[in-house]
Amino acid sequence: MTGRMRFSTLIALSVVAVMALLIAGAVVLGRDHEPAGRTVITVRLWDQQVAQAYRRSFDEFTRRRPDIEVRVNVVAYSSYFDALRTDVAGGSADDIFWISNAYFAPYADSGRLIGVPPRPDWESSVVEQFTRNGTLWGVPQLTDAGIALYYNADLLATAGVDPAALDSLRWSPDDAQDTLRPMLARLTAGDGRRWAYNAGNDLQGIYLNYIGSAGGVFSVGDRFAFDNPQASQAFTYLVRLINVDKVAPPASDTNDNGDFSRNMFLQGRMALFQSGTYNLAQIAANAPFRWGVALMPAGPAGRVSVTNGIAAAGNSASKHPDAMRAVLAWMGSAKGNSYLGANGAAVPAVLAAQRAYFDFWAANGVDVAPFFEVLRGPRIPAPGGQGFAAGFDAMKPYFDEMFLGRLDVTAALARAQRAANAATGP
Amino acid sequence: MCSRRLRSTATAYTLLAPSLLGVAVFLLLPMLVVAWLSLHRWDLLGPIRYVGLDNWRAVLTDGTFGNSLLVTAAFVALVVPAQTALGLVAASLLARQLPGSAVFRTVYVLPWICAPIAIAVLWRWLLAPTDGAVNTLLGRRVEWLTDPGLALPMVSAVTVWTNVGYVTLFFLAGILAIPKDIHDAARLDGATSFQRFVKITLPLLRPTLFFVLVTGIISAAQVFDTVYALTGGGPQNRTDLVAHRIYAEAFGAAAVGRAAVMAIILFAILVAATVAQHLYFRRRISYDLA
Amino acid sequence: MTSPSRAVAVYAMLTTGAVITLAPFTSGVLTSFTSARQFATGTPLELPNPPTLANYAGLADAGFGRATVVTALMTALIVVGQLVFSVSAAYAFARLTFRGRDTLFWIYIATLMVPATVTIVPLYLMMAEAGLRNTFWALVLPFVFGSPYAIFLLREHFRSIPADLINAARLDGANTADVLVHVVVPASKPILVTLTLITVVSQWNNFMWPLVITSGPKWQVLTVATAALQSQYNAQWTLVMAATTLAIVPLIAVFVALQRHIVRSIVVTGLK
Repeated sequence: MTGRMRFSTLIALSVVAVMALLIAGAVVLGRDHEPAGRTVITVRLWDQQVAQAYRRSFDEFTRRRPDIEVRVNVVAYSSYFDALRTDVAGGSADDIFWISNAYFAPYADSGRLIGVPPRPDWESSVVEQFTRNGTLWGVPQLTDAGIALYYNADLLATAGVDPAALDSLRWSPDDAQDTLRPMLARLTAGDGRRWAYNAGNDLQGIYLNYIGSAGGVFSVGDRFAFDNPQASQAFTYLVRLINVDKVAPPASDTNDNGDFSRNMFLQGRMALFQSGTYNLAQIAANAPFRWGVALMPAGPAGRVSVTNGIAAAGNSASKHPDAMRAVLAWMGSAKGNSYLGANGAAVPAVLAAQRAYFDFWAANGVDVAPFFEVLRGPRIPAPGGQGFAAGFDAMKPYFDEMFLGRLDVTAALARAQRAANAATGP
Repeated sequence: MCSRRLRSTATAYTLLAPSLLGVAVFLLLPMLVVAWLSLHRWDLLGPIRYVGLDNWRAVLTDGTFGNSLLVTAAFVALVVPAQTALGLVAASLLARQLPGSAVFRTVYVLPWICAPIAIAVLWRWLLAPTDGAVNTLLGRRVEWLTDPGLALPMVSAVTVWTNVGYVTLFFLAGILAIPKDIHDAARLDGATSFQRFVKITLPLLRPTLFFVLVTGIISAAQVFDTVYALTGGGPQNRTDLVAHRIYAEAFGAAAVGRAAVMAIILFAILVAATVAQHLYFRRRISYDLA
Repeated sequence: MTSPSRAVAVYAMLTTGAVITLAPFTSGVLTSFTSARQFATGTPLELPNPPTLANYAGLADAGFGRATVVTALMTALIVVGQLVFSVSAAYAFARLTFRGRDTLFWIYIATLMVPATVTIVPLYLMMAEAGLRNTFWALVLPFVFGSPYAIFLLREHFRSIPADLINAARLDGANTADVLVHVVVPASKPILVTLTLITVVSQWNNFMWPLVITSGPKWQVLTVATAALQSQYNAQWTLVMAATTLAIVPLIAVFVALQRHIVRSIVVTGLK
């Protein structure tokens, strides 16, 4: 009798023990490896290449400030801003995180970011982009420069095209003046698995520039305004390239996959890839063929590119505000920011640090001039604003259909603009 | 007697305490919270603002939710009959208990055991327009997941593919539970196997059929993982199933109040459907097999 | 009993079904062993030549090792909690008389109709307010305190345990814990195995809640890690297939080993 009692108590105790063990396991797993006596600051961004540059930069920082350790956290761009929103909302975001012009407004407006005093040695276009309601909301980290045309020199050679010819390409709704389309036709293999160009639903790399080069606008202030005749010309041209001429991959491949075209280019399945400096390091590291950079095609209104900047914002809910500010100051200093340029990962936004970038690529035999030359002319501003995320989501179905060739361009732009502005909301 | 009841009550509530906590905090309280949320606007970042019935008005008039409901209804109409019929066919084949049937049965259930999200990612590759296995096999480029006409049927096909084995198990048990005497008697009377199937097996499978249909409808109405990985809501929102719409409203468009409204409406619909099915079938399912 | 020609027809159909079921898995697994280069330059359906483990190595870098541990720990904790607390509650409903018993039980049953889709958003808000977002506890707490479904099934079962067994034990001086351990649990082994398997499968495969409540590599479970990998390495199919294979294989292995139990369990619970 007593024996039995003890057995059931034994069972109960062992159940408790098992649960305690599992809980202990979870606690162990959850422990942050806080090194003794040091404060840990976390930095979040989406670019793998730049992350490596940051690690070197922060190693140097920790040498100067041994009491602060900085950890870098990379989150894929495709889910970066969704994850950031839920993380910041939930109070579990990193101390410092990258923000882009398009998505930072709601964070600023709801007091999630700390204000930063601007400095004259920062790239002014980036400072402007991240200033809202009179305050600068992040430390400029890099500027994307303009958009240019990467080309696969081997494929060009096979097709008998001289790379120098690329610089004078122009697109036009008027076939007589259009030199881009014939060139692309020459460079397409036609077997459905290899293409000439990455025309597609790509805001920064493709269509913002086409809109600008046609003399149109994409947005005015916080409102979407792409329903205009010039933008319509631009989109009609692009949609034709994809669906009629088939010189670019089908939109069903590129609409939902921002990396598809870059991957095709890297695999040697695309002759020309129009993009920005944000892909330069990847291409340099991974392209198994000879390649180069040319100017992007001009349009009826000239060559108009978008330029974008990235800033590092400080989380106002950070547990270590002083350490965080120290790290931010380092990131905004010429020395700290120069690491980003030293391996050519990105163009630093601190003016004094930009030299390193040019030197690096010059030493590697890559001419990055096209990215910068295009900025000497007019530019089209990168969009943003309070409801940008919701607006951009709302216009996506229409733009997808338009690029798939299933929805007429004029109708698509009209409906998309209506939907986007409605979603941007009061 | 009195003290035993008291002790009984104390013991009972001790035993019940954890599950009571769980039910109250994680099932009942959320119902109240979701109703409260439906009257507010929140973008996850800013403050939660009271907006009264604005969300309700918006959701009931702007058509996105209506579209989801229609899509979900179409999806259920595609999936449930198909998986039920195929499950029945497979079960009747397996019920013959030819050698090796157990192996087939195991194989058929494999897709159901796997995580739906993993299955969906697998099929995303199989159906990819470029580099996908199916298109390579066919030698043609078919836009399985981006053609508005094909997207929902394909999502349905993947769901049916996943569920058939599971449904088969239930029908198999049901068929095998039918006493042999009934079949023997019918065979002696000269009934063909088809006649036996229609007049004996099917009617006696009614309880199983009821179960399979009800659970099939309820689980089909909540499919999320498959949509998330395969189409993200689909071309022109053609695969925007209700569960996905709720998720997208709350965590994509950051309109949590609207998502709450949709959740409430979904709940009401599912409850009504379950109750209706119970009432309809209640009169028709008991058979005495003694 | 089945004529030979019939048998051939039956086998033909069964085999077709098996091929349709297995072919996708096979393709996926084979692709996971294909090198990215071969995949890009050859056709997607070629056999890996030579097969490579590079894709799986890539998974380790993507945090799949930790994801597996987190998933296993979460599942184990939930299973133990659910079993213990559901058994206790079911016993109370089945064998004890107390005030409010039937009403309370009906409330439990009523919650069975609340779909997960409906509770996700409010639970998110509640967890966020409690500061539990992106913690292991958030993964576990909503499920660990017992499941009304399990309680419902177990109560049915416990009611059919012969009263004599329990009375005899009580006469011997057993308290409630003893009755549970020595009478109720041994008499319910099949249903308990069933519930364990069902809980393991459903928690291991849970996606929407972990997706919403965790973020980043620290607490991501296998399902979330697989989806994240697919979106980050979109169209790098060899790597993505390695992830799906890894997500699928453990449960398949368990299933094949225990398939007779599992099949019986699925059917038993369903037809009650």
